Amino acid sequence: MSMTRRVMAVLILSAVAAAAAWAQDISPASGGRELDPLGRLSEGSRYQIELLLDSARVAGLPTAPLESKALEGISKRVDGRRIVAAVRMVFRSLRDARSVLGAAATPDELNAAASALRVGVTRAELAHLTQMRREKSVTIPLVVLSDLITRGVPRDTASQTILQLWQRGAADDDFLGLWRGVERDIVSGTDPGVALLNRAREVPPRAPSSQPEAGSRPEGTENRNS
Amino acid sequence: MTEDDVKTLDPYVQWIVAEARRPVSVDDAARHRLLEALRAEPQPTRRRLDWLVEPRRFVLPPLATAALAAGLVGIGVISGLLINRDGQQADQRPADVADTPRLPGSIASRAVKFVLIAPQAARVAVVGDFNGWDVSASPMTTQGKDGTWTIFLPLHPGLHTYSFVLDGTHFMPDPAAPLAPDDGYGRQSSVVLVGGSSL
Repeated sequence: MSMTRRVMAVLILSAVAAAAAWAQDISPASGGRELDPLGRLSEGSRYQIELLLDSARVAGLPTAPLESKALEGISKRVDGRRIVAAVRMVFRSLRDARSVLGAAATPDELNAAASALRVGVTRAELAHLTQMRREKSVTIPLVVLSDLITRGVPRDTASQTILQLWQRGAADDDFLGLWRGVERDIVSGTDPGVALLNRAREVPPRAPSSQPEAGSRPEGTENRNS
Repeated sequence: MTEDDVKTLDPYVQWIVAEARRPVSVDDAARHRLLEALRAEPQPTRRRLDWLVEPRRFVLPPLATAALAAGLVGIGVISGLLINRDGQQADQRPADVADTPRLPGSIASRAVKFVLIAPQAARVAVVGDFNGWDVSASPMTTQGKDGTWTIFLPLHPGLHTYSFVLDGTHFMPDPAAPLAPDDGYGRQSSVVLVGGSSL
């Protein structure tokens, strides 16, 4: 084989390999991921996280939130013990969320409910929200609820307001519009709780798809936003 | 093998070498008959597509070889742009973006645009559960001097947690998206819901 042919063969193989690798990298959720991203943890930390992942699999819980939490800690260069603690907290909250939402909950709903539990929403409040779901996903209301509490809205106020809007048939767009307004008011200096109550009054009433179940309305939500 | 080498061999082997080297005399008439017989053989017919499989010798200068390789890379890149790993054509509509307060819960497209205004940053990246929180996986780009950093990412439908990383070390949530709870790392993240599966 002449030198020119050898060079040409090497170039062609390199070009094909580069193009193939590039094409692989543009697909969703693939960018730059290592083959063993947990390998950067110490043996002990990794072992404990693997145990939690196994426990989640056995319990039928999604493992992606646990892996994500571990990778987030690695990326933020948090020490292994804190990563294990954070992953364990996510595992427990997912397990609690599953016990409240039931087996029919989607992974997104479970994830959102677990986040809500971690910011202080009680299982009873979560149960109320779930009882009124009526074929609708509770993901967006729970995401907004967690955000509001994280931004400083008192938990009781946030939970009861979201529950009431949900009960009145509020749609995802209503919750997102509410979140947008409250966030803007908080940035402008309004007290978070006041901002939520004010903005909740602007949400137009919608007819719920069906009447709520007897006793499903949480007490103390009646006149909060009217 | 030289003559000196032959002289060092066994006499019997020397005889074999001598015999092998002795020219063979061929009768001229016999040679003539052989050539005539060969000429009388039918010529092989040249099939129409034989030229496709015939070996050829060609030489490409290095510049032409490099141009050929570049062309192949271009073909691969264009193919990669049009077809993703799942064998599906990438959606042409970037549509809803994570920089708007509205969570893109009802969009059909999986392309999500992340935007951050950070004029002081030299580098900005987005990390999240969609790229294994790898700081080097999704660098954002900026055009002009207004410090607006953007990136389009194709995301699977579902709830995603993410964060921006400024200059490789400083994590910050998206100011235009709902917050995810702080789970003990001390730095909050954001959430985005990509429509399709759960709504």
